[in-house]
Parts: sequence; structure tokens; C-alpha cells
Amino acid sequence: MYGIKKGAKSKRLRHTHVISKQGFRFFPSDEELVVHFLYCKAAHLPCQPDIIPTLDLYHCDPWELNGKALQGDNKWYFFTRRTEHRVSADGYWTPIGDDEPVTSRNANVGLKKTLVYYMGEPPVGIKTNWIMHEYHLLDTNACTSSSNSTRRSSKKSGQQRFDANKWAICRVFDTSSGSQTSLNDEGMELSCLDEVFLSLDDYDEVSFPN
Amino acid sequence: MSISVNGQSRVPPGFRFHPTEEELLNYYLTKKVACEKIDLDVIRDVDLNKLEPWDIQEKCRIGSTPQNDWYFFSHKDKKYPTGTRTNRATAAGFWKATGRDKVICTSFKRIGMRKTLVFYKGRAPHGQKSDWIMHEYRLDDHCSDNNTTSSNVSCTVGEGGAQEDGWVVCRVFKKKNHHKALDSPNTSSSINNSEVVKTQVVHSSSDGALDQILQYMGRSCKQENENFNTNNNTHSSTNNNAWRYLLPIDTALGSTLHERFMKLPALESPITAEYPDNSSGSQTSYPPDGLQAVVNMCSGEFQTDQGLNDWAALDRLVASHLNGSESEASKHDLSCFDDTGYDYQSGGDGDLWSFRHGSH
Repeated sequence: MYGIKKGAKSKRLRHTHVISKQGFRFFPSDEELVVHFLYCKAAHLPCQPDIIPTLDLYHCDPWELNGKALQGDNKWYFFTRRTEHRVSADGYWTPIGDDEPVTSRNANVGLKKTLVYYMGEPPVGIKTNWIMHEYHLLDTNACTSSSNSTRRSSKKSGQQRFDANKWAICRVFDTSSGSQTSLNDEGMELSCLDEVFLSLDDYDEVSFPN
Repeated sequence: MSISVNGQSRVPPGFRFHPTEEELLNYYLTKKVACEKIDLDVIRDVDLNKLEPWDIQEKCRIGSTPQNDWYFFSHKDKKYPTGTRTNRATAAGFWKATGRDKVICTSFKRIGMRKTLVFYKGRAPHGQKSDWIMHEYRLDDHCSDNNTTSSNVSCTVGEGGAQEDGWVVCRVFKKKNHHKALDSPNTSSSINNSEVVKTQVVHSSSDGALDQILQYMGRSCKQENENFNTNNNTHSSTNNNAWRYLLPIDTALGSTLHERFMKLPALESPITAEYPDNSSGSQTSYPPDGLQAVVNMCSGEFQTDQGLNDWAALDRLVASHLNGSESEASKHDLSCFDDTGYDYQSGGDGDLWSFRHGSH
């Protein structure tokens, strides 16, 4: 009822053992999202691990993603059909900034759009803290060599199509929840106190007036 | 060594090794000390004395994905056969502890300690400080490291048995230098540094920071303090414990900082008391936690030098920004949980989703 393909769940189950390890978190790079997940989706290839669900984003407000999309570090990941009409029940997504290229092995493989969620009716909605990164594949002939070889082999089998323009993969998060940095920086930031001690260490070498 | 380490990846695409401190201590180090099997053996053993920090990236790689931090087990090596200090010297430099050890707790129980160390190139005491930082975690039970002078850790000093399980788990990373933005460009004079100190003291007040810093400085400057006292007759009559703590600041950081410390409000007082006193301007980069949300919300409209000295005004500001959006949001949030159409989060997904619950 929310656009999730039933039956995908059983497929996902097979891979759960791989990632149920202490200390591992889903924290994909742009490249991984495009090359690994989105490419496989578009090429109808099996995706390992098959953990990202397909949603109809535009029937979901961002706060409804919890429990439906794959969550990693307070961000939600899902596939959705590409559209320029990004309207949900209570608001709409508007692109901000320029599209960024996603590269893999020095080749452009995709595009990353950043969008912000507005509550209400366009164009007078109220800006929120919800941000979406929406990734597209570039046109089929612009894929990496490894992707091409995969596609060729699948073409040989004569049963697959490649839908470069059909799917997007999305990462949605709430900037006010602080999720942007929590995983990146957990334990990797020095506390303020540590910084103070570090700067005080410098004074060990100061020569004192007599 | 397990094939899961060093390039041969069994880590699924999209996943990163980002253990919490609790996972490092309660899972990895506990199992290591107990010689139990670790399911995905990604943390390898390292001889700290034979590994320079810049070689750690290669040695401790997990899978093929880029990393910003690296993990290893290390068995602590005594500096002197009869002593209890730990030898952390390498061929090119040494790891030097900084600050005081931090107690690591779960929600209900103390589980271990974290020591922060900085890598210095060269030989003590003339090493050159680098950006390489190490967090060394040890379990609470075995206090084999008495390197710290922390008095509230009760240890059996020099107990032979404690050395046998002297395993620690370490996380190494390169310090991000965003704090340098606080300094004026191209200067590193003591006055700028003291501004940094002041700013950070204000914002870490909940840690009892000033108290810790004073103690730390009292300790590290003890020698100088004594020299100072013998060389300065003016202070000889006040040679008591209070001066022991105050004098090092005076001598080490100069009277400017001393005065600033003296001007600090009581640690429990509202930060606003300090905030409008914007004499240095450096605070603007570091809004305290309570203001962070406001700054985020207003992104750009908010300037601390406008003098936010009224919490009620702040509350109204937040409320006006939240109005409409958040109340709607919370309503939908609740309705979302009522939905039983498709429960992706539970029911049969087993390990994968219990794994998610582990993340905070």
C-alpha cells in the first residue's frame, strides 16, 4: 500500500546475517549508492545486500519514512521512481543548489540533487529542516566500464532491460536532529575539554621568566 | 589474520565500521581479553611500538572503503620492567597522553576508561606535535595502566596479574583543524590561544571543566610553580595550596588569561551571563548547546553580537520558526506509528533490524 514490493522482504532476509555485526552501520558513500545500489536496480540485477526498499516517495511525507525506508544513522534510504513532480500529502520538495556529479574511478556515473522539503502548497510553503539527496544515473552510454560489462553480460542472457531514467535512490534526513554528523564524528571529534588540554600542552615548552 | 581484514572485504557495500564506545569495550575488548571468538574479526592486533600513525591506515584497513578512523588492539608494553608506565614510543616519535582519562559508561554502569593521546614526532621532551590522535580504551576491571595520576581510579599498583590482560583497543584518527578558525589568520600568539581557552571553558562548563583544567595545570606546572616560588619573594608568603593552582596560570599563560579566568561566572550560571560580554568575538563560532538549535534554524539571520540576553525572546524566536511545521510534524509522526500496513522495522527481519536498534 506504500509502494513497497511485497516479496522483496524474503529476499532481504537472506542477507541479514551479513550485516548483523557489532559496530557496522549503514553509511553508504555517494558512489556506493549510485554504482552499487542504483545501478543494480536499474539493470534489474540482484543487489547484495538487498536491503533498500522501493517507495513511492511522493505519497510519503519525510517523517513517515521511519519504518518504511532503510534507516542508517538517522537517515532514510529508498528507491523511488524518477519524477520532477515531487509533491507529497503535506508539502513538496524543491531543489536547492547545483546538481553535483557522482564519480567512480574518475568517471561520472551519476548526478546528486539536493532538495529541501516545504510544508504546504507551492510556491508559498514553509521551509523545513528536511533535506533529500536524490541520485540519478547518467544516460546509459555514460556508465563505467565495469557497469558496462555487467550490462553486457546481462544482455547476453537476453532477458534484462536497463532503466537508467526510471529510478532514483534517495537519502532523506532532518538537519535539526543532528544526524548529519553523528556517525561521521562520533568519537572522532575531540571534546572541548580535550582541545583545551591539547592547547595547554603547548605551554609545556614555554620558557618561564626568572 | 582473518581474511576480513586488509582489503579482502566481507563488509557489504554501504556499511562502515563505526563502533560506539560501548561496542568497542563491551563487545570487542571484552571478547579479546577473554580470548573469545569475535564474529567479524576486523580489529587486528598491532604492536604500537612498531607502527607509525601514518602506516596505520594501510595496516588497519577494513574492506576497501575509505576510512577516517582506524582500529586496533594493542597489548600495553611497560616502559620499565619494574614500573607501571606504558611505553608508547615508536621509531619516529611517541604517543603522549593529554588531559585526564574519561570514564565510559553505559546508561547504567561504568564499563571502562578512555585515554586520549597525541602523536609527537621526535623524542621527548622535544617532540613536535602532530594531528594524529589516539583514543585508547581499556576495561574498567584491569587498571594495569597507572600512567595517569588520576586519584579516583582505585588500582592495585604493580599487580602482576593485571599486566597479563593488558589489552586495550585503540581508535586512531587525524584531528580536524576547524578550531584554528578561531584564531586570527597567521597568528598563534598566546593571547589568541587564550581566547580559545576561554571560549572552550565557557562551553564545556557542564564538565566542571575549569576545575579539571586548574587541576591539570596545577599538576603539569607543578615544577615551574615551585621554581617560581623560590625565585619570587613576593609570593613566598602565600605559598599555599590555592596559589599552587593559580600561579601556574599566571606564569604559563600570562596575566591576561589569569584575569579572564577570574572573570568567569560560576559554572552553573546561565551562559547568557557570559554571552553578551562579547569582548573577543570568538564565541560566535561556538554557540553553546542551548543556542545551537536556534542558530541552525535561523541560519544566517542570527548574529550573536546582536546581544541575545533574553531567553524569553529566544523561546519566541524558536516557537515562531517551529510554528506550523513542528506541530504538524508531530501529529504525523504519531499517526505513522499506528500504521500497520507494512512494518518494515520489525517482524522477521531478524538480525538486520536488531542491528539497527543498536545504533544511537
